[in-house]
Amino acid sequence: MSAPPRRRKNTPRPVALVALGAASLLALTACASGATTAPVTDAGEPVVGGTLILEQWPDNAAFACVDPFQTYWIEHRQVIRNYADSLTDQDPETGEIVPWLATDWDISADGLTYTFHLRDDVTFSDGTAFTADSVVLALESAQATLQELPGAYGGVYVAGYESSTALDPTTVQVQFSTPNASFLQGTSTTNLAILAASAYEATPEERCLGTANVGSGPFVLDAYTPGEGIDLSKRAGYAWASELNDHQGEAYLDAIRINYVAEDSVRVGNLTSGASDIAWPRNPFTPEQIAQVEASGATVHSRSLPGPAYNLYVNAAEGAVLADENVRVAVSKAIDRATYAATIYGPDYPVVASAFDETTPFFVDHSADLAFDPEGAAALLEESGWVLEDGATYRTKDGETLTIRQPITADNPGDALLQDQLKAVGIDLQLPVFQAAERASIIAGGEYDLLVNYYTRADPGVLQWILDDRYAGSKAFAQSSADSQTVAAIKELFDEGLRQSDPSARADVYADLQELLIGTAVAIPVFERVQLAATGPDVHGFRYTSEAFLSYYDIWKSQE
Amino acid sequence: MTRYVLGRIGQAALVLWAAYTATFAILYLLPSDPVALQLGANNIEVDSLTPEQREAAAARLGLDRPVWEQYLVMLGNALRGDFGVSFAKQVPVSDLLAQRLPGTVTLSVVAVALALVLGVAIAFTATLVPRGAVASLLRRLPAVGVSVPNFWIALLLIQIFAFILGWLPSMGDQGWQSYVLPAITMAIPTSAVLAQVLIRSFDDTLDEPYIATARAKGLTRYDVQVRHAFRNAALPTLTILGLLVGSTVTGSIVVETVFSRNGIGRLAQESVLQQDIPVVQAIVVLAAAAFVVVNLIVDLLYPLLDPRIAHTPKVSRA
Repeated sequence: MSAPPRRRKNTPRPVALVALGAASLLALTACASGATTAPVTDAGEPVVGGTLILEQWPDNAAFACVDPFQTYWIEHRQVIRNYADSLTDQDPETGEIVPWLATDWDISADGLTYTFHLRDDVTFSDGTAFTADSVVLALESAQATLQELPGAYGGVYVAGYESSTALDPTTVQVQFSTPNASFLQGTSTTNLAILAASAYEATPEERCLGTANVGSGPFVLDAYTPGEGIDLSKRAGYAWASELNDHQGEAYLDAIRINYVAEDSVRVGNLTSGASDIAWPRNPFTPEQIAQVEASGATVHSRSLPGPAYNLYVNAAEGAVLADENVRVAVSKAIDRATYAATIYGPDYPVVASAFDETTPFFVDHSADLAFDPEGAAALLEESGWVLEDGATYRTKDGETLTIRQPITADNPGDALLQDQLKAVGIDLQLPVFQAAERASIIAGGEYDLLVNYYTRADPGVLQWILDDRYAGSKAFAQSSADSQTVAAIKELFDEGLRQSDPSARADVYADLQELLIGTAVAIPVFERVQLAATGPDVHGFRYTSEAFLSYYDIWKSQE
Repeated sequence: MTRYVLGRIGQAALVLWAAYTATFAILYLLPSDPVALQLGANNIEVDSLTPEQREAAAARLGLDRPVWEQYLVMLGNALRGDFGVSFAKQVPVSDLLAQRLPGTVTLSVVAVALALVLGVAIAFTATLVPRGAVASLLRRLPAVGVSVPNFWIALLLIQIFAFILGWLPSMGDQGWQSYVLPAITMAIPTSAVLAQVLIRSFDDTLDEPYIATARAKGLTRYDVQVRHAFRNAALPTLTILGLLVGSTVTGSIVVETVFSRNGIGRLAQESVLQQDIPVVQAIVVLAAAAFVVVNLIVDLLYPLLDPRIAHTPKVSRA
């Protein structure tokens, strides 16, 4: 009864290879990736038809939104990826941007003008044609949304946008006032996916609820019920998949039912008992759940989510304990990341190696700088005057205990382990529990020393949303993230990264950025954020997109 | 009688107003700012806005007026059944309730009915069977039922009936099957409390002299319990039942989360975490209303069960 457990690891390699710009290296990457996303060949010919039941972590209760431009919730963006197409697509293995709705593009030498040449055979699911005007309308509507809802997520993707013009039905020109080298990658994301004109007649709130979200994707969004789930059905006549897919033409599945299941054990149990086809968790499966999934004949998939790793960001405001770089670096050295990954997520779990996850373009491996070094930590703390009295557990300085506060939303084993690891070098890590709604006031009041934040995007510029006060969701958080000199240096690197359109120059900039973040411990990585998924034995054609979302397009189910 | 009922309805209205006002006060005393909450839903922190943008957002939400004025406006609207618009979900609260309420109400009714049947059956059997191993097992069962956590029962039921046997769905709201496991989960602690109280009342009632008389007439133990003891023993249980119905809202929080049901319990939990004031207020008023109505019904049932309890004025000075 027990099928041999299969586990396909879609382990990504440093996409930074692209930065070196060598075709030979690309070939090397392709070799190395042999077993990862190759179609399952032992399952026979793909079968057309059937309904896929996908169970995921619930939608965002605080911001139910399936509008491409506004949403940031991974589970929402995944659905958008399947009902709306983008101008370009991004290769999950290399990070390379490839044609999709745009067949090719030119970027002016000053990096201010993007010209896209579009396919002429694309239609939206309401029958209207996709043209240069559709792109202009989408970008202009994005600006209108930003006017009404300043700080909407898509904003950072179009930073510096000035205007866009349809030169002819298949040529569109996008003009920037300041260079934005991330924009090309931005055009491959769900945030800049293009909807039909009718969708932009609706208000941003209506688009969030998905009532008018007509796209050109391989599936059609039929209904979104916040808190419950989503129904999608196949788009008849779809014929413009990007080259990154395993097939062309219409999708295989007739329909997809997405159920939101909050309880991890129920989601896994439904998969292993055959009540669902795919289990898609937010937090990685536990080692026990992986064993349970594999024992049932289901397959576990994994891909690191591109963008910042699970980092702790610091409050380095004047007078705060982590304003002292020695203490910050000591915290970083005191974390045993290999033990953390193995204990919390299991022996196969990757160990974080930089401020970015390894699938992020221009990722540089900093494992050596992030090695577990309790002696080094102790020496740095001594140097800053934090001494360990005989018999004491925690270090003190002038009678004050070395206490660091990391507010968390719920008790969890990972933070308890961190607390233990820091205790070993004499740091008292306190973990006050707060409610999500209090986050803003905690930041404004400086009532934290460490705080977690992340956002998924396959471009290192994404970190501006956290650390650059011109784009950050919280200005106060960004401004306190380092001393003013370091903040200025980080912002300069971000700007330089956007100015440089040459990949190897960008690689240099982002290498410097990672060195600075790790060296000064402005970002303290804890673990690699990995998107795991489990597919039942009948499910084939599973494929992660570049941003570790699920593409439903190639999926097919073998018939009973 | 009419005067009594009118008085009780007046009391009920007072309770509802107090619940509404207390929620408003508590939520406004919490250390957070509704404008920040509303934007926080978008993961934008208020400090990233210019003062003008901030004021515009506050005005749009009606949060730029003094607190007492906001209170009076909200109270006035609430009296007309308009609880405003959810901060986080951006839809009218009444729409949210209309969408989420039916599932929770049905589940609660089924669960209470089941709890009543289970509780009475356990108490009845526990006091009917002769003292011994079975009786003491049955008498201890309620203590177990009260002690085991709800979520554990829920996961256990899912494990057995959904994952292993595959008889019933583990989640969602499709057909009567999806009510079975959640209703059992909610009914177990409720029935345990009912059984505990009822066993106690049975024991007391069965010691009464009129029971001895009934026995002396030659009635069987069963007949004595059904015909003579049950009505009297049921009074304290009825009181408890009134209280337990009110607590189904809290019970539904855990159950709806584990069984992935989109009901009022989950809405309450989400809204409290997000400090979504309009939604929390509507739910508190709703729960208070359910509580008040059920207890009013219980009060009115008393004289039917025990004619000695009458709600007429007891003045007879003649």
